[in-house]
Amino acid sequence: MDALKALTRWLTDPALSKRKKFLSGLDLFADLSGSELGRVAQGLHARTYRPGEVVFVEGDIGRALFILESGSVELTRRGADGKPVVLYALKPGEFFGEMALLESLPRSATATATETSRLHLLYRSKLEALLHAEPRVGAAIMGHLARLLSARLRRATGALASLPVPHA
Amino acid sequence: MPEERRVPLGPALAVLAAGLYAFYRLHEALTPFVLAAAFAYVVNPVVSYFEARGLRRAHLVIAGYLAGLALGYAAYAGIKTVLVGETEFLNANAPAYARQLQAFVLSEEAKLTRTLPLPPAVAERALGAAMDTVLQRVQALPSQIFGLVPFLLHALLVPFIGFFFLLDGPAGFDGLIQAAPSRYVEQAVHLAGDIDVSLGNYLRGILIAAAAITIASFAGLLTLGVDNAAAIALLAGVTSFMPYLGAVVGALAGFAMAVYQFGSLWAGVKVLILFAGIRLADEILLEPVIARHSVRLHPLVFLLALIVGGETFGFLGLVFAIPAACILKALAKVAWAWYASERGLAPYAPSCEAVPYT
Repeated sequence: MDALKALTRWLTDPALSKRKKFLSGLDLFADLSGSELGRVAQGLHARTYRPGEVVFVEGDIGRALFILESGSVELTRRGADGKPVVLYALKPGEFFGEMALLESLPRSATATATETSRLHLLYRSKLEALLHAEPRVGAAIMGHLARLLSARLRRATGALASLPVPHA
Repeated sequence: MPEERRVPLGPALAVLAAGLYAFYRLHEALTPFVLAAAFAYVVNPVVSYFEARGLRRAHLVIAGYLAGLALGYAAYAGIKTVLVGETEFLNANAPAYARQLQAFVLSEEAKLTRTLPLPPAVAERALGAAMDTVLQRVQALPSQIFGLVPFLLHALLVPFIGFFFLLDGPAGFDGLIQAAPSRYVEQAVHLAGDIDVSLGNYLRGILIAAAAITIASFAGLLTLGVDNAAAIALLAGVTSFMPYLGAVVGALAGFAMAVYQFGSLWAGVKVLILFAGIRLADEILLEPVIARHSVRLHPLVFLLALIVGGETFGFLGLVFAIPAACILKALAKVAWAWYASERGLAPYAPSCEAVPYT
């Protein structure tokens, strides 16, 4: 039994296993099998950002989804006075910039690493390649993005509905 | 207003130009490395497929090389008799082919001398000069083949260097991403990803098509009993890279061989039917798979790329002219898509946007 475990350890790639384990914990990839997670892990590019390093700036055209593995990233937007307003501080396991996978539009906020952070980047071109090569993987990711978009829209519609209607 | 992102275009172009010049000066020394990188690039998806299942890359590469060696040896052992027989046959019959060719030329020369409205001495001189040119080319063939020896030596060096490229896999690219300024990473990898998708499909596609045409031609010519089947099939496979021309070169060589060997036009027609069938199967079965998402070049651009590549870099230029042209086209397409999206030139406007969320 020990010999079998040792053989499995010798045959398998610990770095990829660690990456797959991390990805399996994310909602975005929850429905994927082990080998499908492996295909996704191969399509991701990892980069470590130093504290204060800018990931993207408000107004840049979005090209990728970012998944935070470790560290912390802050999303800010310029207020009316030109000063940055913190919108959200991301924790490990959360992702941002997902709309870039659907459309190449300007980013609505600036993302900055506030401590040494490890980010995984999934590019639109990689996702499209995955959609063609592994339709199940692509469909699962797109399905999750559609549900996320729907939930946000529902929330925004609810917030709008609760506002007082201006009289003509 | 968000701060303007400025692309350092001048320094980037200067570095690119310096890199291209350095490559031009060192291209002979870099040949095996470039070929090895191309080999690793084409083979990498097979390694990645198994790697996604959790296996270590190093084990997969070693196992792949051992399997490749075993398969290569088995294939060689299987067709060794045919290859050796064909080589001996070609050696034995070469003088006969030459005599036949000479007799054909002499008879045509006599016919033309009678037909042409020129003094016989002038016609004979003109045809003699043409014949001399052909003979000079034929005589120069061994030295030209000898000139290819360094490239044959690369056949050993390329898999050796390619082994290390395959072992590293995407690690080198990840290193570049880490070194790039953080704000440009997103755009740079987007560009690299688009080129990878277009070029990868194209390169793998043409190699699969060439291999399929070679195997199908070899099997078909063997079945028809045509001599030198391996050489003709190899010619058909190698020339399949060239649009239009590739389709006829193998067919004409096979037709000529069959007519000469069997002495009947019908034997040649059978070879033409065989090549037409292979071409049709290629169009119906392979092309739809290969052409999907790959870069397509206009035949004139294709020929221009081959001429410029061959003139500038010799053999290496011929091998990489088409992939380089594909890279340029993919770069131009991606640059335009990038520019259009940066400037908001092609916004997506769905028709039901105004309908309330329900």
